[in-house]
Amino acid sequence: MTTEPAIRPDAAGLASPEWGGFDMARTRGRGWPDVRRSFTTAVRLGWQMEANWTDPVLFFIYSVAKPLASALILVVMLDVISGGAKPEYRAFVVVGSALWSFVLSGVSGLAWMILDDRERYRMLKYIYVSPSDFLAVVFGRGVARIGVGAMGAAITLAIGVVFLNVPFDVSRIDWPILVTVMTLGVGSILAIALLLAAICMQTRQESWSYPEAAAGALFLVSGVVFPLSVLPLPVQALGLLTPLTWWVEGVRLALFPGGLTAIGGPGSLFTELTGTAGPGAAMIVLVLLATGAMATLGALAVFRASDRRAKDRGLLDQTTGS
Amino acid sequence: MSLPAREPARPPGAARRTNAAPGRNAFVYRPTASPQEAAIWTQRQVALTNLRTVAGRAYPRVTGLLREKSWIFFEILLPFLSTSAFVFVYRALEAPPQYIGFVVLGGAMTAFWLNVIWMMAQQLWWEKSQGNLELYFAAPMNIMAVLFGMAFGGFVMSSSRAAAVLVIATTVYGVTFAIDQWALLIGVFLLTLAALYGLGMVLASLFLMWGREAWHLTQLLVEPVYFVSGLNFPVGRLGVLGSIAISILPLAVGLDAMRQLAFADAAYPIGTPSPAVEALILVAMTVVFLVLARWTLVTLERRARQEGRLSVRWQ
Amino acid sequence: MSGIVEPTRTQPLAIDVRGIRRVYNVKPKPVVALDGVDLAVEPGEFFGLLGPNGAGKTTLIKILTTLLLPSEGTARIFGFDVSRQTKQIRRIMNMVAGGEQSGYGILTVREQLWMFSQFYGLPSRDGWNRVDELVEAVGLEEQTAQRVSTLSTGQRQRMNFARGLLNDPWIFFLDEPTLGLDVSAARAVRELILAWKAAVPGRTVLLTTHYMAEADELCDRIAIVDHGRILALGTPDELKKRVQRESVFRLELDRLDGGAAALRRLPGVVSAALAAGDQADGGAERRTVEVNLALVDDGALGGVVGALGGLGSSILALRKSEPSLEDVFVELVGRGFGDESTDDDHTADAANGAADKGAGNGSVPGLRADDPNVTDTTDDAREREAEAIR
Repeated sequence: MTTEPAIRPDAAGLASPEWGGFDMARTRGRGWPDVRRSFTTAVRLGWQMEANWTDPVLFFIYSVAKPLASALILVVMLDVISGGAKPEYRAFVVVGSALWSFVLSGVSGLAWMILDDRERYRMLKYIYVSPSDFLAVVFGRGVARIGVGAMGAAITLAIGVVFLNVPFDVSRIDWPILVTVMTLGVGSILAIALLLAAICMQTRQESWSYPEAAAGALFLVSGVVFPLSVLPLPVQALGLLTPLTWWVEGVRLALFPGGLTAIGGPGSLFTELTGTAGPGAAMIVLVLLATGAMATLGALAVFRASDRRAKDRGLLDQTTGS
Repeated sequence: MSLPAREPARPPGAARRTNAAPGRNAFVYRPTASPQEAAIWTQRQVALTNLRTVAGRAYPRVTGLLREKSWIFFEILLPFLSTSAFVFVYRALEAPPQYIGFVVLGGAMTAFWLNVIWMMAQQLWWEKSQGNLELYFAAPMNIMAVLFGMAFGGFVMSSSRAAAVLVIATTVYGVTFAIDQWALLIGVFLLTLAALYGLGMVLASLFLMWGREAWHLTQLLVEPVYFVSGLNFPVGRLGVLGSIAISILPLAVGLDAMRQLAFADAAYPIGTPSPAVEALILVAMTVVFLVLARWTLVTLERRARQEGRLSVRWQ
Repeated sequence: MSGIVEPTRTQPLAIDVRGIRRVYNVKPKPVVALDGVDLAVEPGEFFGLLGPNGAGKTTLIKILTTLLLPSEGTARIFGFDVSRQTKQIRRIMNMVAGGEQSGYGILTVREQLWMFSQFYGLPSRDGWNRVDELVEAVGLEEQTAQRVSTLSTGQRQRMNFARGLLNDPWIFFLDEPTLGLDVSAARAVRELILAWKAAVPGRTVLLTTHYMAEADELCDRIAIVDHGRILALGTPDELKKRVQRESVFRLELDRLDGGAAALRRLPGVVSAALAAGDQADGGAERRTVEVNLALVDDGALGGVVGALGGLGSSILALRKSEPSLEDVFVELVGRGFGDESTDDDHTADAANGAADKGAGNGSVPGLRADDPNVTDTTDDAREREAEAIR
């Protein structure tokens, strides 16, 4: 005769002393502790998915090869033309390129989480209906990629200093500025990432390349590897409205005080408007704060609208491969 | 769920509407006398099935493009801006004008490389995740035909992107081409595509055996390959590394040959073979990659069947 | 069941499995999913594989559909070897699994099916026509222009069936095809399979299912599988007879003086007991009496009926209780489908990649609720009956 396995509420946690079985109060949740738990769980999961697919050596190579190759492309471009005659520009290019690998990882992490969990693992709907804060989970999953990006950026910078003669003096680092702009910058990167996640919630499976394409476009206007002054004025204006421009400028200022500026200089819109050669630290922080806040508000609004549309059209559990 | 109205007079499978063949029974398509007869196909049947498979597999790719047009913005406009960024790097460095042309040509050709690794190399692995792979392997066509179908479908998008980048960037940045050997240029372009997609097939078979490794390795094949292929600069500048790239990477050799042919009047840095030799290298690559792809597919299919990996999901 | 082609040894078996063993090399230790299976299925047969999760059913189907190689042994489909002659087999077979989520969500039902028709080499126009015919046959006319990603479970499974029939397969592998379907959808699927099979003699079906009554209704023969071995094989009736040691009847009488004890004294009666309800109520307000009766064989019934007349009782109803396939299953396997399988089974499932699609229970979507054989075969009903007889 069949014997059904008995459900043991105590073992399943359904009647734990903490909750005492079903409790209406549970529906109200616990606020921040819940958000924190969701976030840390998502971070842990994201890191496992990001890092445990291979052995540490290959993971290291993988994390470094991309940003290093990007930097090397630019270094060779520079050397092909100038024959190594512009060392200050080499530092400018290496730092910008390293920072950009961080941006690339950051902006793609959230969007890929949406696509991965919807199309491949088919978990998005379960995450969505769980009591966990959806945004906390999305951000948490993205953190792992930001971590990988940060590691790649740091190692690229180190290689730049050791092998590519990038002048660097640790004692000259302006730590307060660095910490401030990095904090604000990461916030801005996450805002852009959220915007792209909102877009990918609406698009089909093959949207993997969208975040990188968007980052590629921002690369043009953010003064990452060349000064904004070489761009047409309207494009420069666009660049000045982008928080990433100010973030890159702030990090450069903190790491290489007195180095080249991407925002100011002869022929730049900034210098025309302000009459100064380049922005100071205070201005960088303030404009980064303002543009970052605008980007964050905009991204949240777009994400909310995308979320509503996804629910309206049943997109949360769709599979759209082709 | 809406159920069909029950009509006892109509046996299940009997056609009712006119768009189905009149009088046909849906449960009998082409009667065969025995399973043995049905299992033996002529060479013509095999070839036609593979050709139809190419069309069948390309269909969702092309339909997907028509059905959701966000790719026009993300796959054409934004990549043009990425390419523009490198144009401005050279402008900032006051580089000779042909270097702008090198960047534009490189930007156009990246579309095909990205298509090969994103929409081909990892596609079998992706199909496995979606549960399609076992249906592919359980069907009678050659899996190479499926890969060709994917390639063709993706090629529609890539060529749109490449053409857009080439035309817009040429117009906006005033690139001037100087082409003496049109036939060779077109031949090199086609050979580059053949070799690239051949390599894509090899990678697709290799990735069949992997899980998330495939996904990550795909990413590893973007920037490092751009670098060693000389995406924005003549690959000859890389010395030995460039020579190695020319001998194994279709993007490197194809791009180098096309640059030599498209900017015949420019003082092109020496250190790489002539376009004609590079065309021969591409022919060899095409043959090698296609043979290798077929061999790896057969070998790895067998290994996947041995290890039970054809239907393992969520790796 | 009609349609079985009489075996002539000039015609090979539809499925000929000899000594198949399949071991998955997974951590922490290798798992034996199939352990020396022999199976012979005639052309035209509707053959069922019954077994709990991890029994090896799906592994066997994967081997037969050329997706997996056996570790040892040979398997042939209509004479073609599954290891070496995969192309030939793939031309004459198809398969559908329960809960299958294949295809491309961006396509419509019609487009998706057409795409698959191309994989089987149908000319393009023929493909579209064939899709229209099959879409209609499976009752998906309303959904032809609907995107695949928006289909319900039942609609999706109908579409999967249409896909499976595109190439006119000679052998159709069905891996729990009604899993997760509601009553109507499951019934429609079963009707569809039978209608397709009846259309051409010699068409063969291999079905794995958790639903005993489904196997009972559809299959000519059934193999009960567990731990990678076939425990029993035969027609549903033959299998049931294996566990039928007594003839069990339920009698409804207008009265029974002397109670069940009066019946126990009769020749050929193994046991007799009032049905549970009668015992509980004491019969004070009831106008009839129900008795569960176990006899040494059917022949003893005549004597009982005669004796009841002598006791002044009239028989209002008499029903014979047949053992069900579930009884057979429980006796052979030692547990029901609802029970946990062993750790090894789970590992085998994992190794096989969602080999079985979740545990079912004894209830079958779509089978007639008023069928006494179905309602009486629930564990509770039989347990009550057994208690009453004891």
